[in-house]
Amino acid sequence: MSGHTIIDMPAAMSTESDKYSVILPTYNERKNLPVITWLLAKTFEANGLAWEIIVVDDASPDGTQEVARQLAKIYGDDKVVGITVHLNRSLDGKAGWGCARVPATWYGVSASLGTSILKPRAGKLGLGTAYVHGLNFVTGNFVIIMDADFSHHPKFIPELIKQQKLHNLDIVTGTRYASTPSPTPNPRGSVGLGPGGVYGWDLKRKLVSRGANFLADTVLMPGISDLTGSFRLYRTPVIKDIISRCTSKGYVFQMEIVVRARSLGYTVGEVPITFVDRIYGESKLSGNEIVGYAKGVVNLWWNVE
Amino acid sequence: MSKGTRFVTIAIPAVVAYLLMLINVLPVPFVSAETADQILPVIPWWLLVAFGAFSLTSLGLGLLRFHDTPEAYESLLAEIAQAKNELRDQGVEVD
Repeated sequence: MSGHTIIDMPAAMSTESDKYSVILPTYNERKNLPVITWLLAKTFEANGLAWEIIVVDDASPDGTQEVARQLAKIYGDDKVVGITVHLNRSLDGKAGWGCARVPATWYGVSASLGTSILKPRAGKLGLGTAYVHGLNFVTGNFVIIMDADFSHHPKFIPELIKQQKLHNLDIVTGTRYASTPSPTPNPRGSVGLGPGGVYGWDLKRKLVSRGANFLADTVLMPGISDLTGSFRLYRTPVIKDIISRCTSKGYVFQMEIVVRARSLGYTVGEVPITFVDRIYGESKLSGNEIVGYAKGVVNLWWNVE
Repeated sequence: MSKGTRFVTIAIPAVVAYLLMLINVLPVPFVSAETADQILPVIPWWLLVAFGAFSLTSLGLGLLRFHDTPEAYESLLAEIAQAKNELRDQGVEVD
């Protein structure tokens, strides 16, 4: 943890009653979950922020839930809350974040000791249904959604929060593409830990990513540089409102949130982040995904006011 | 109105006006008929090439300005190692 996340913190941050809930969707993250939890806890404690982590596990066979229970014992079950969601992954083929309006009656809920088991009966559900469920358990007035695989570093959370407070924003999203936070001004560089960027991408991956963002940027004119990023801070009522209107999955889902936020009049800001691509496991972008993405952009262009 | 419908409501009249000028039904304002006859047929190509150039420039600049952050990776690995040591001491299973 670099020191300046603590030094630059406005005095107001530690005294307010804001609480930050991190939703961590997991699938087979037994190895990563304790470490990301440790990093999150360290960041929040160092900055005197009230926090909780909602682990939304997609019925991982590797024992992620057991690890979540261990962590709840160490940090307190008000701090680490484990939820198991059984999503029918086989119907989806590949996992992708998305949101779907799911009637509550689809789920049998049995809760014990902060761990709830949610079972969807059937249906083609995006993995991002995880967000919808996670939101039901959130007690904070702010929600942070990030990946549990270390591609998003918790050290940027205080920066997202600073930017939110500075401009009273509804959403602050991490950007891999910009060097400075937006909106400005940010007196004396008070927000951010330097320019955004990526580790572990070759030229082709960068070109695809750039192309995807250029397409969306040109067609949708969202006013932010990183539309498909998934490291974001939201006001809780805002994300609940937006997610209830969302219809898409995967990268498009991340984009849809911002596009809908704009059309609903919510304010969106950005802070540069560094993105370290999956240290464990692989992330690939297939031809199918690219086509699906382009369709999603056009769909948003045509349908979102 | 969505961005798409707004685009279409502007684009359709614009295309119709262009076609009418091209077949000399509508007069072209500000320029002589002779100049207009020379300019009008190449306008679509000009738009296409201009947009292509803009796209390639944007992509190229975007690629050039894409930061690599090896230092973020190095510091993350160090933190992960530290986290695992502390977690092991607290009795959490990490390997």
